[in-house]
Amino acid sequence: MSNEREVIGIHAEAKRGNPLAHVFDELTRFCRARSLFMLHYCTGCGAIELPPAMTSRFDMERLGIQPMVTPRQADILLVTGYVSVKTLKRIILTYEQMSAPKYVIGICSCTVNGGMYWQSYATAKVLKAYLPVDMYIAGCMPRPEAVIAGLRALIDDIEADRAESWKRYYQHYDHYLGNQQSLFGDDWQTPTDILAEAEHYGLLGEHTRGKHTALLERHQRPLEALEMRLRVPEEPE
Amino acid sequence: MNLFLELLLMPLVAFLVGLLMVLMLRRIGAKLQRRVGPPFFQPLYDVVKLYAKRTQVSHGPIHDMGIVMAVGGYIAAETLLPVPGMDGLADKGGVIALAYMMMIPSLGLALGVGQCANPNGSIGISRALTAMLAYDVPFMLVIFGAAWVYGSTDLSEMIAQQQQGEWGVARMPLLALAGLLTLPALMGKQPFEIYVAPAEIATGPMVEMGGKFLGGLFVMQAFQLYTAGALYTTLFLGGGEHWLSFLPKIFLVVAIPMMIAYLFPRYRAEDMLRVMWKWPVLAALLGLAMVMK
Repeated sequence: MSNEREVIGIHAEAKRGNPLAHVFDELTRFCRARSLFMLHYCTGCGAIELPPAMTSRFDMERLGIQPMVTPRQADILLVTGYVSVKTLKRIILTYEQMSAPKYVIGICSCTVNGGMYWQSYATAKVLKAYLPVDMYIAGCMPRPEAVIAGLRALIDDIEADRAESWKRYYQHYDHYLGNQQSLFGDDWQTPTDILAEAEHYGLLGEHTRGKHTALLERHQRPLEALEMRLRVPEEPE
Repeated sequence: MNLFLELLLMPLVAFLVGLLMVLMLRRIGAKLQRRVGPPFFQPLYDVVKLYAKRTQVSHGPIHDMGIVMAVGGYIAAETLLPVPGMDGLADKGGVIALAYMMMIPSLGLALGVGQCANPNGSIGISRALTAMLAYDVPFMLVIFGAAWVYGSTDLSEMIAQQQQGEWGVARMPLLALAGLLTLPALMGKQPFEIYVAPAEIATGPMVEMGGKFLGGLFVMQAFQLYTAGALYTTLFLGGGEHWLSFLPKIFLVVAIPMMIAYLFPRYRAEDMLRVMWKWPVLAALLGLAMVMK
């Protein structure tokens, strides 16, 4: 593993030698911070504070933030409220389908520590154990001002190149996968092959592979295309 | 001007004007909802951000090619659309070739979406092609009528005639009305955006498009708005003597459908077909009868 990391390091260094690379980096970072497509995964009550943040009273669009409806198009995954174990599976599938750079925002106390669901057996309490979270907006529920303030803080982070948690998901995949497996069982597998993606994009880290990914690789099946079949119901005689 | 330079400049100008149109539409929408709306460079930020995504999800070569066709079709269309100072290939192509070019993006999109194998995408693209069927009938009637009145399919010839005599909208008011009624569908604006339907089929054709693919579609939308505005202006509003008179006209043409966009609830695909084949076609046929008498 360490060899590959060094190769990446040298590669990145060579890229820095090009003066134009900095200009493009600055430009893309500038645009990234000003254009954020948001996928709001409305799991709980916090979702009720988003419509006022989007509509005429607080108007997120003036910050370049607009709602999108599919993970492929989105930059931000907003998790608004408590996350049940069943919901968490969907959130992870959604997160893995988004294209990087991607950011996760946990809204409400429930995503921080379980909030009022602390004693619930069916709730995943700490969101950041399963996904890298860029920003928490605590409160029960946070008002639209707080949501906007949190988004502004994220924008500052992106512009200063601090919001890099999506890389952490690749580089510490073993840790996140371990936590996911402890909830969903050892045969947990998502349609997105994170290990292959990490390899492809040169984001393998020291902690990408470990005993949990070894467990995954033991039973991992490649995705197969769904069978396309048209079933015509028979006419009743 | 050098033809090669024109072929480079015309799509570029179209893209920049198209981005401004996207901004205008979003600002109009924001004003109607009493919001501030996006900042001036927002469409550009969106496109740059989408192209700068670090990981891309492609579903195969046809998916990639589909987007190239979608953008390429409009780039080809821009070179056939005369603008002040630049004629490009307008004298060689004419309005019929332009109408063909304007259909290619939808077909390219259909190819690309087909390979994504997402059911929402398939529903969306089948609705988009139905929409094309709906608006192309009145659109073709309008083009036929205009070509009949001017006695030519050459767009530069049409502009020359209008600048010497009176504008097309005065010579064939009913055809101009039919064209205006067709515009919202041609631009994919409300109430004819059933194929996008974000809350129901997750933006239909765009459902699997992320990063560069969505960026390509944003570029395509800028071209689409520009093409619709510039073509209507060329056929009915006297084209452009110079940019200062041309730009207000095309922005006005694009703004009109947006002003009324939020007034009506969305039509279903079959209702859209019914509406398009009834009122614009009726107006266009009456207009044809008037100009051919």
